[in-house]
Amino acid sequence: MHGPLPDAHSVILRSHERAATSYHRSMADEEAPASKSAFNGRDLRKIYVTGETEVQALRGVDLDIAVGEVLVLLGPSGSGKSTLLNIIGGLDRATSGTLWYRDTELTALDDADLTRFRRANIGFIFQFYNLIPSLTARENVQLVTDIAADPMPAEEALERVGLAARMDHFPAQLSGGEQQRVAVARAIAKRPGVLLCDEPTGALDSGTGVRVLETLARANTELGTTLILITHNAGIAAMADRVFHFLDGRIASIVVNETRIAAAEIKW
Amino acid sequence: MVTSLDRKLARDLWRMRGQAFAIALVIAAAMSTFVMSLGVHRSLIETRDAYYQRNHFADVFASMTRAPRSIVDRVRELDGVARAEGRIEQYATLEMPGRTEAIRAVINSVGDGGKSDLNQLVILRGRGPGIDESGEVVVDKAFADANGIVPGDEIDAVIYGNRDRLKIVGIGLAPDYIWAIAPGELVPDESRFGILWMGQKALEAATNRTQAITSIAVVLDRGAVESEVIRRLDALVEPYGGTGAYGRDDHPSNAFLDNELMQLEAMTRVIPPIFLLVSTFLVYIVLGRLIRTERQEIGLIKAFGYSSYAIGWHYLKFALAVAAIGIALGSLLGWWMGREMTTLYGDYYRFPFLDYRVSAPVFVTGGALAAGSAALGAMGGVRTAVRLNPAVAMSPPQPPVYRVGMVERVSRRAGFTSVGHMIVRHIARWPGRSAVTTFGVALSLALLFSTVQFIDSSRIMLNDFFFRAQQQDLTVSFIEARNEDVIYELAALPGVIAVEATRTVPVRLVHGPRSERAAIEGAARDATLTARIDADGRAVPLPVSGVMLSRLLAERLDVRAGDEVEIELLGGRRTKTLVPVTSTIDELVGTRAYAENAVVERMARDGAVVGAAQLKIDPAHRDDIIAHLNEMPIVLGVTERVAAMRLFEAMIDRNIITMIGFYVAFASAIAVGVVYNSARILFSERAHELATLRVLGYHKTEVATVLLGELALLVVLALPVGCFLGYWMAQLMTAMFSSDLFRLPFAPSRATYGFAAVVILIAALLTAAVVIRRVTGLDMVRVLKSHE
Repeated sequence: MHGPLPDAHSVILRSHERAATSYHRSMADEEAPASKSAFNGRDLRKIYVTGETEVQALRGVDLDIAVGEVLVLLGPSGSGKSTLLNIIGGLDRATSGTLWYRDTELTALDDADLTRFRRANIGFIFQFYNLIPSLTARENVQLVTDIAADPMPAEEALERVGLAARMDHFPAQLSGGEQQRVAVARAIAKRPGVLLCDEPTGALDSGTGVRVLETLARANTELGTTLILITHNAGIAAMADRVFHFLDGRIASIVVNETRIAAAEIKW
Repeated sequence: MVTSLDRKLARDLWRMRGQAFAIALVIAAAMSTFVMSLGVHRSLIETRDAYYQRNHFADVFASMTRAPRSIVDRVRELDGVARAEGRIEQYATLEMPGRTEAIRAVINSVGDGGKSDLNQLVILRGRGPGIDESGEVVVDKAFADANGIVPGDEIDAVIYGNRDRLKIVGIGLAPDYIWAIAPGELVPDESRFGILWMGQKALEAATNRTQAITSIAVVLDRGAVESEVIRRLDALVEPYGGTGAYGRDDHPSNAFLDNELMQLEAMTRVIPPIFLLVSTFLVYIVLGRLIRTERQEIGLIKAFGYSSYAIGWHYLKFALAVAAIGIALGSLLGWWMGREMTTLYGDYYRFPFLDYRVSAPVFVTGGALAAGSAALGAMGGVRTAVRLNPAVAMSPPQPPVYRVGMVERVSRRAGFTSVGHMIVRHIARWPGRSAVTTFGVALSLALLFSTVQFIDSSRIMLNDFFFRAQQQDLTVSFIEARNEDVIYELAALPGVIAVEATRTVPVRLVHGPRSERAAIEGAARDATLTARIDADGRAVPLPVSGVMLSRLLAERLDVRAGDEVEIELLGGRRTKTLVPVTSTIDELVGTRAYAENAVVERMARDGAVVGAAQLKIDPAHRDDIIAHLNEMPIVLGVTERVAAMRLFEAMIDRNIITMIGFYVAFASAIAVGVVYNSARILFSERAHELATLRVLGYHKTEVATVLLGELALLVVLALPVGCFLGYWMAQLMTAMFSSDLFRLPFAPSRATYGFAAVVILIAALLTAAVVIRRVTGLDMVRVLKSHE
C-alpha cells in the first residue's frame, strides 16, 4: 500500500524539475500526453446516508485528468462537484467505483494512506481560507513545509503570491485577498502535483479574486501543477483547458477551450 | 409553561451533557463531603448530648487514693455543686482461657441493679449487678463483643491482689466510657481492655474499702464557675490523696470525642470549599465558551424582543440546572457516606444508640452554597450575554487577535515548529482559562496530597513511638510504686534480658500565678529501653538534675530553662518542692514533664522508685514470663509493645484503604471535571484548525498532538503548582487537625508527592483520551465548508 506513493512523489519532482526548465505547461502535454494522466476515475458513486434519507451525491462519474491540466468544475449547488473534488483530494472516499492517481488506486487506500497521499500530492484552497489564526503568514506556510518531503522555503512560497512584505502578519492583520493568497502559498509550498480549489474567489471582490487566480495560474505554469477549480462563476471557466458541467451528480457535458485566456483578463 | 428558551436550555444541557455532568460531579463532591461531614458531626453531637443528658454525665471529676464515703455529702454542700456521687474505680487483671496476653479492666462501683445518680449505666442485655452480690459484674458492650462474652459467662480476675471469679450478669454502656483506653496505651483495644461495673458493697469488700470511695463525680449548678468548683473540690479531697479535679474538657472519653468532632468540623471547612472553588471556575469557563459560540443566537433572540434580563436569566439557569444535578447527586451520596461513616463511628465509640440524621438545614445550606458557587461562576458569562448589543452580536465576532509574546521569542529561538507555536499562543491567548485548567488540576493534586500525607504522619508517629521512644518488649505496672528490689526480682526471671525502672507521678506545677496539672515521667538517665523523641524526631536526653518540660507545658506556665517551678505531688505525701527547669522538649502530644528517677524519688520521698518496669525479653520465654507476671499480686497490668504496635499498624492500614479510596475518587473527580471541560472547549474552539491540519496532510496522531500538547503542558505545569499548594494545604490541615494537646507530625514523604501526581496524571490522561477520540471522528469537509 505504501509502495506507489514515493513513486507518485518522484513523478511530481520530475514534473517540477521539468517545469523549472520549461516555462510553458503545454510542453508537458506534447512530451507524453497518454502516459501523463493525473487522475483516472471510473463509475464513481457517492451516497450520503443521513438518518433515514439517502442522498446520491455522485451517480457514476468517469473522468481522465491530464498532468498539468487546468480544469474548471461548474454546476449548481448540490450537483456533486465538491463531492468529486473531496474524493479526488482524498478527504472523502467514493461509495463505489475506482479512482487512480497516476499509479496509485486512491479508492483502495485506507485512512492513513489517504493522509500520506494528501501530504505528498495535494494542495487545497477553500472559500474561507482556513488559516490558523494563531500563526503568522509564514508560520501558516511552515505548517506544510514542516511535514513535506521537498518543500520550497515558506518565504519563497509567499514571495510567489506577492506577500514577501507581510510574512510576519497574523491572519487578523491581513485583508481577505491577502489571507487567500497565504492559503495559496501554503498550498503550493510543498510543490504539490495537484491544486484543488473550492470556490477560491467566492468571498473576494473581482479585483482581489483575479489576483488570486493569477497566482494559481502561475503555479500551474511554473510548477506544472494540475489545477482543478470549483466555481459558480462562469467567467473563470475561460482560463481552463476543459470545463466539466455538473448536474445531479453526473458530468452533464465537457467543454474543451480551444484557446485559454490569461487569468488577468478575466472579469466579472 | 415551558417557554422556547427553556426548551433551548434543556437541549443545550443535553447536547453538553458530558461537560455538564463533569461539573455536576465536582459540585456533587462538594455537596457530599459537606453533607457527610456536617451530618456526621451534628449526629455525633446530638447523640452525645442526648446520651450525656439522659444518663447524667457529670461536669467535674476527681480521683483520690481513698476517701470516706461521707465526703460526698461535704462535696454536695460546696458552692456551685448541684449533685455529687462517689464511687470506687479499681483496675484489675482478667484471666481468660486461651489468652496469654495481659487483659486489663477497670471496675466501677454502682448501686443495686446497676443504678447510680451520675454517669448512669445503660443495661443492654441481662441485668445490673446486685449491690452486695460478690463477683456479679456488667461488662461493656465493646469488650463483650470483642471477646464473645455473654451474660452467664464467668471470668477469673485479679482484683487488688486477690483472685476472684466474676460472673457476667449483663452487658452495658456508660457515658463516661464512650471512648476508653488502657493507661499507657496509644490505641484503644477493646479486646484487651474492658470496663466493668460491680455492686458497690461487693467492690468495697473486694478492695477492702468499706464505706470508702476513690472518685467523685459532680454536676454543677446552672451558672456555676467550673474552675471555682474544681478549686474547692481539690481542697476538699486533697487530704485523701486527691490527684486533682478536672472538668469535662480533661475527661479522657469526652476530650477524645471532642478532638474527633473538631477534626470533622475542620474537614467541613477545608474540603467542600475546594470543590466549590473548582466548580465555580468550571462554570465560568464552560458558560463563557457557550455564550461565545451562541453570540449570534443571543443577538437574534434579543432582536426578537427578549430582554437582556431574560437572556441573562436563561444562562444563569443553565448554571443552576447543572448545580441542581450536582446537589441532588451529592445529597444522596453525602447522606449515604455519612451513614456509613456513622456506622464506623458506632464501632469505634461506645454509644447505646447512634441516630444518624441529617437535618434539612444541612441540605439547604449545602445546596445554597453549591448553587451560589455555580451562580458566581456564571456571572462573567451572563454579564457578557446581557451586555451584547444585538446588532453587533449578529455579525460574526472579530477573529481572535494573536500576538508574538515573550514566551514566543524564547520558543522561536528554541526552534519550535508551527504546531508548537499554535499550542503556546493558544495558551497565551486564553490566559484565564489556561490558568483555570492548571489551577484546577493543581487543586486536585493538592487535595489528594494533603489528605494522603496524613498516612506519613501516622507512620512517623508509629516509628517514633514504637521504635524509638519504646524499645522494651513489656511494660509491667504495679499497684503501687515499689523499691528497687522488684527490678532485681524481674531480672532474675528466665528469659528477661534487661529491666529498667520508670515512674510516672501526677503533679501540679506552679509558677507565679500559673499552675498546671501534669505527669512527671521518671526514668534512669542511662536508660536504653525508653527515650523521649521531640517533634523533629530527635531523641532528647534527660537532664542530670531538675526537670525537662514539654514546650507546651513551659509556655502555659511561662517558664524558661533556668527558672524554678514549684512541683506539688498529687497523691502520696503531697510534697511541694522547688525544682529548676533544666530544659524543654518540643513534643507532639500532651503536656508532660520528665526527670531522672532520683529527682522523682526526692519529690515522692517514699523510697520507691519503680512505678513500672520496662522489660526486654527473649521471645522464646514470652508466654512463661507473662504468665508469671500475671501471677504476681503486685502487678497491675502488663502491656506488650508488639501487640500495641500491631493494633496501631492495623488502624493505619484501615485508614489507608479508606482514605486512599475516598480521596483518590474525589480528587480524581476534580481532575476529570477540569480536564474534560478544558479538552472539550479546546476541541470545539480548534475543530476548524484541526480539520485544516488534517486537510494539509497531518495524520490523526499529529493533529491530536495539538490538543494533547496544550493539555499536557497545562497539566504538567499543574504538577509543581499542585505540590506547592498541597504542601501548604497539608500544613493548614495539620494545624486545623491539631489541638493544644495533640499535634500531628508534618513531614510528607516524596512518595506521597509521587503518588498524588501519578493518580492525577492518570485521571487527566484517561479523560483526555476520551476527548481525543473525537479527533478521529472529525468531519474535515463539513468543518471546512462552514465559516468559523
